Amino acid sequence: MRMPVARTAVLLAAATALASARLHAQHAGHVMMDTSTTPRSTMHVMAQAIPLFTRAVPTAGGNAGSQLAVSQVLVMARLGFWHDRGAIATTLDAEGLTIPNGEFDTGAYGEGFVDRRHPHTYVHELMVTGRGVIGAASWSAAGGRGFAPFGTDDPMMRPLEKFPVNHHLSQILERLAAIGALRLGPAMLEAAAFGGDEPTHPASVPRLDRFGDSWSVRGTVLPTHATELQASYARVASPEDVTGAGLGQRKRSISARYIGPGGGRYVLAEWAKTVDHDASRNEDAFGYESALVEGAVRAGPLGIALRLEQSERPEEGRLAEPFRTPRPASDLSIDGITQWRVATLQLAAPGTSIHRVSGVPFMELARLWAGARDARSVATPDRLYGTSRLWMLTAGVRLRAGDAHARMGRYGVADIDGPAIGTLASGTMSPHAH
Amino acid sequence: MHFTPRLSPLLGLVLGAACSSSEATRPDTTLPVVTSSSPVTMSVVGRGDFKPSRISGEIAVRGNTAYTTSWNNTTTSSAYYIWDVSGTPVLVDSVTVDGARTLGDVAVSDDGSTLVVATESSGSLATYSLTNPRKPVLLTRFAPAHITVGVHTAKIGRVNGMLYGFLSIDPGGGAKAQLVIVDLANPAAPQEINTTSIGNPYVHDTFMRDGLLFLGLWNDGVAIWDIGGGGKGGTPAAPVELGRVKTVNGKVHNIWWVKDPVTGSNRYAFVGEESSGNVGVSSSGDVHVIDVSDMSAPREVAFYTVSGAGTHNFSVDEPNGILYAAYYNGGVRALDVRGTLGTCTDAQKSLPAGSTVALCDLRKMGREVGIGLLDQGTPVFVWGVQYVGGAVYASDMNNGIWKLRSVTRP
Repeated sequence: MRMPVARTAVLLAAATALASARLHAQHAGHVMMDTSTTPRSTMHVMAQAIPLFTRAVPTAGGNAGSQLAVSQVLVMARLGFWHDRGAIATTLDAEGLTIPNGEFDTGAYGEGFVDRRHPHTYVHELMVTGRGVIGAASWSAAGGRGFAPFGTDDPMMRPLEKFPVNHHLSQILERLAAIGALRLGPAMLEAAAFGGDEPTHPASVPRLDRFGDSWSVRGTVLPTHATELQASYARVASPEDVTGAGLGQRKRSISARYIGPGGGRYVLAEWAKTVDHDASRNEDAFGYESALVEGAVRAGPLGIALRLEQSERPEEGRLAEPFRTPRPASDLSIDGITQWRVATLQLAAPGTSIHRVSGVPFMELARLWAGARDARSVATPDRLYGTSRLWMLTAGVRLRAGDAHARMGRYGVADIDGPAIGTLASGTMSPHAH
Repeated sequence: MHFTPRLSPLLGLVLGAACSSSEATRPDTTLPVVTSSSPVTMSVVGRGDFKPSRISGEIAVRGNTAYTTSWNNTTTSSAYYIWDVSGTPVLVDSVTVDGARTLGDVAVSDDGSTLVVATESSGSLATYSLTNPRKPVLLTRFAPAHITVGVHTAKIGRVNGMLYGFLSIDPGGGAKAQLVIVDLANPAAPQEINTTSIGNPYVHDTFMRDGLLFLGLWNDGVAIWDIGGGGKGGTPAAPVELGRVKTVNGKVHNIWWVKDPVTGSNRYAFVGEESSGNVGVSSSGDVHVIDVSDMSAPREVAFYTVSGAGTHNFSVDEPNGILYAAYYNGGVRALDVRGTLGTCTDAQKSLPAGSTVALCDLRKMGREVGIGLLDQGTPVFVWGVQYVGGAVYASDMNNGIWKLRSVTRP
């Protein structure tokens, strides 16, 4: 079952790419800078919060559970200066205050949480970028805390509210990173050195002594205004143990993304794989694979989004609190690998705006199927949940003030302009990314 | 090791990225050494099972009674199990331990009066009276705040006639791993007498004998403390470190310092490397042999590896010179550990995983003399073993408890 899904994802990615008839030499990005037309400085600010209700049947521990929460509480800001030769991008996230114990999200895992998506750090990103031009190419250098160039956009900038299972397979975030990027026409190449340690708490600060122990590269091609293809690779040292004693990760990702004019149509297909690697023994330990396809469309006043995902996650011993796993773990073992197949449908109602604050009510329904990848595993869904078939219902309102930011996780010349996804941008939608 | 079918070839195109011996404190004699090139299959007396309710952890056996813990339970009401092992193991009772998801270790005092259980999530040491070995009576739950993160293992032993507990505390909550030593003169009221932050990043287990404490410090290797028998003035309350050694690949989990009553040798300690594992499916990690003839400068001289499996806890039949190693999905392995282990021919050496220095390979030296539980027609995942009175008892995370006949020397 895994291979067909993986193949399907790759084929979808290829089909999306081939759907473009020609290469677009100058995508609407910051390829060239014309200081006569670029303002001396620019500022874009957005604030967001999503009050929501989630019902998970069942959730960790085998019982049904409900949660009222305020999720994705963000302030995103981007300041451009020196005619956009320099920029500061920051995202401040208050989830450590609003959902300190995480958000119900069956299947999600990472940073010591399971079946609840972890709160992000208060400083989700704070990157300083400089850029220039060399002949026909443009370059940028960025440094600070943020996303390593790997994989796809942060799920907070995508249409479904619930994070996919593969968040920790497909993004590398909240790291102390130095990133160089080069762009020539429709092609971009990014490379980064960063610290592998992932946060352990919303107030976590990256360890300086870990900086440079990890690296990643990402190549992106923009065949048309609307289409992009990316492939990336990363080696991450001991993400789950800040002392550096944990297993390393070798990560791969490929994806194709399409977004139509005005953001009315959006499709993403991605494949990712992470292999845990024991450096001292020079042995691969475990591997987790993911294939995901999602799309969103505006249908008159309604927004419709659908995500289909098959992802694998490690199972770990749980603390007395069933939604938590020890960080650091007490050894290098896992209790099994669970394969999740998740179908999530979102319907978004017409948005309303009051001054610059918009509200988009939505409802999401997720059906989840879980199974042990190996029948010998001791941590099976039946043992963890009492069943292998689960439901999750979410209802909420996406509140936003300011223009919607379109992307999260790219900097400098690799920051691809384009519209925000329409179902996210109802109300005060802006055609510009930032 | 256990990957799904994948698109590696395509992605590869797309991404492209990326021994010699030294003087022993007591010289080895030249008793004949088993030189088996084909280890025997250890015969099984019987199995005691309680599937599917629990996953077994550690085992402790005294006389005809065995105790097995349960691991990673679905609730925080966990249990350990009491077995009659006079014949085929038979479950006779269980004891519930509330407020803990895992009972990771169990040990019985040398006089049989006291049983201790280490708990994780949350951490504590539970002590029991064994006035009736089949009906343990809770004495106390020792749980000061700094150990509630998790007691990974707990060993007990006597120093100068006094009973002590050695608790390996997990790191967490911003605190480093700790070794906590408690005075168990009154097991109903353990007294903490020493706490040391130690281990990189874990201290996983200890082995105490003759006033020497061996500590498994993961990537910091093995440390040897004088706590009353090392001649350096150490006590349980004020240990004095004698020496350390980093073994190949680190990840030191457990140790057994062998004293051979036949040869008088006490040159070797055996170290378990606990590398990555997928419980029930796969494991990795080798047995490392360190020469401790000079306690101030221990050094690794040999190793034993099983392809596709990794080691966990040991028990040694010292009168017969046979070490039994729990080997998770590799079952039980019996190694002849009598005689000289650190001297071998070049043909008997191998490179341990990840190392560039060849060491004596116990398998090539014909020291692998028995394999157990791989012939039972069901996958096993052996956590612990204990040799008692001619039998080897194994706790199997998948299948409960096994009783095997021990290996006899030819």
